[in-house]
Amino acid sequence: MSTVETPTPARNAPAPPPGPAARAGGWVSTALPFVGAVVAAFLVGGLIILLLGYDPVRAFDAVLTTSFSSRFGIVETLHKTVPILLCAYAFAIPLATGKFNIGAEGQLLVGATGGVALGILWSDLPMVVLLPCVLVAGALAGTLWSGIAAFLMIRFRVNEILSTVLLNFVSFQLIDYVASHVWPDRGAGHPATVVVGDGARLPGLGERPAMHTGVLIAVVLAVVVAFWMNRTASGFELRAVGANPRAAMVHGVRTSRMAGAGMLVGGAVAGLAGAIEVAGVHGRMLEGMQSNFLILGIIVGLMARGSMVALPFIAFGIAVLEVGASAMQRTAQVPVEIVLIIEALILLFLLLTDVVRHRLRRAAQ
Amino acid sequence: MNEVLDLLTLMIPAMVPFVLAAEGTILSGRAGIFNVSQEGMMVLGAAVGFLVSWTVGSNVVGLLAALGMGAIFGVVIGYMTTFLRLDQFVVGLALYFGALGLAALLYREVVGVTLEPPLIETLRDVPIPLLSQIPVIGEIFFEQDLVVYFTFVLAFVLWWFMYRTNAGMKFRSVGENPKAADSLGIPVVRTRMWAAIAGSALMCMAGAYLPMVYTGTFTEGMVGGRGWLVIALAFLGGWRPHYVVAGAAFFAAMEVLALRAQVAGIGIPHQFVLMLPFVATLVVMMFAFRWSRQPAFLGRNYDRESRM
Repeated sequence: MSTVETPTPARNAPAPPPGPAARAGGWVSTALPFVGAVVAAFLVGGLIILLLGYDPVRAFDAVLTTSFSSRFGIVETLHKTVPILLCAYAFAIPLATGKFNIGAEGQLLVGATGGVALGILWSDLPMVVLLPCVLVAGALAGTLWSGIAAFLMIRFRVNEILSTVLLNFVSFQLIDYVASHVWPDRGAGHPATVVVGDGARLPGLGERPAMHTGVLIAVVLAVVVAFWMNRTASGFELRAVGANPRAAMVHGVRTSRMAGAGMLVGGAVAGLAGAIEVAGVHGRMLEGMQSNFLILGIIVGLMARGSMVALPFIAFGIAVLEVGASAMQRTAQVPVEIVLIIEALILLFLLLTDVVRHRLRRAAQ
Repeated sequence: MNEVLDLLTLMIPAMVPFVLAAEGTILSGRAGIFNVSQEGMMVLGAAVGFLVSWTVGSNVVGLLAALGMGAIFGVVIGYMTTFLRLDQFVVGLALYFGALGLAALLYREVVGVTLEPPLIETLRDVPIPLLSQIPVIGEIFFEQDLVVYFTFVLAFVLWWFMYRTNAGMKFRSVGENPKAADSLGIPVVRTRMWAAIAGSALMCMAGAYLPMVYTGTFTEGMVGGRGWLVIALAFLGGWRPHYVVAGAAFFAAMEVLALRAQVAGIGIPHQFVLMLPFVATLVVMMFAFRWSRQPAFLGRNYDRESRM
């Protein structure tokens, strides 16, 4: 699996091509396993909560309703959806070519560094000029970071899981250095850079608490990605490399170049997420701003199983769970980690539904 | 001279988590199961090992509990990849997340939020009689704790098993060509199950060693990427138990030197010193992937019915 050209169709199990039977069932047969997996995961999660001596009904009430019970909850959820969605793209787009990008975290941080650098250096510029510069700088910095992994993958056949993960750890130190030596904010009490200029801030929408316009960028991006992957020649080539590398190569697709391109696009999206976090949420770069977006992005990317249309909705669902998780800890005193376990369980049960479906089909024959 | 001696004495225990987890990775990998949940297993092992040692008051029990917890996760990954034939990377990642969540949850449930973190006793050094009398070498190798001896003996035993016994050759054949192995009557599924279980158990034990040798406390970040470096180490060592020990020495040296440079304050910002192990690994990987070979069936699932 270290080689770029090795045809290993088994690696693309998360995105099986829909067979004729699945297509005939349409929406129902796609949604049914998903709903089943979510329900089963919540049942098991509820059981764990019960065993730990808490009230599962109160806990799940907090998890599922917090996002929708107040304007603050909705805005918070949408703000959380943006980085989760973009990190999910950073994972899912390379996955379409059969490559695992576990480096969204590092790409996000380096993207944030790129954005914050321009936001601080050119802080006097008006918004029309500065804001696009910040966002583009973020995307470019993210591309650069994933580009290292892509280069090592193509030129030296270094396993991409390894290189992307190792670059994450390099980036942690890098932003720590930027936040404590280059533009430090000594008064913050936590490694953080100084605030970017006003022109670098994404404008808010509506009355307080305002929703930042990064949400709109994410919506546009979701449409573009879905269109690109499903309706254009280059998107098709990208997916062809993942689905059957040999067939793609025979038909003149440059497989290793496409795999590299997938990584670059993934890095750009993650870098953009970093810039949006800087411009929309924090107004600066601070240590720990990557939160657990890497893990959530991978979970969302795996759950979507290659469907770029389903991905934004799943990202929103996961954001609801995440916002609900902290509310659950406040009101029902249930530890937040339960939610991570439930998310991992959803993923595992979703995989199991494949086995069930396979067995059912065999039984029907 | 004394300085070098000190570094070497520190390096040996620093090698232990790398060697243990890498031997676990190799054990699974040589049977064809590529487990990518090392980081999660190590965090979970650290949590379980710490908590059990803290409640029971015995490090040995803590290590055994970590082994047991790893074995449970090994059963899950083994069952899902051999019987259900689900994608190994996806299952591995899902278990990584699950293990991270479980580790944090267990710590919070057992210890809760405290002002002062609870402490466990760190492992005591047990000098081996006679051998520890040898000048220099005795000091470096034979005045360590019991887990160190266990680790190096284990590495030797695994090498001997894989390359000097008939059973070991059969074991390796499962990871190279399961179809051929199957046709010769080697139980492929059973071998893979045991390999997955033993591999995960060793990874967990590697994690449990960390709180017992360094701080005596548990923090979520204490594994700090070692699990991912272990995957690099497995590739670097060409999936061979004896080469991995040499590779682990490299990683341990990086770690010890970075720590020493940080303490000494050599003018370079400490962030760049801490980057060093990861950057060095990347550079080494550039060359390692050229010559290192891996089990032919690594990361793929075996289906007896398929025509491959």
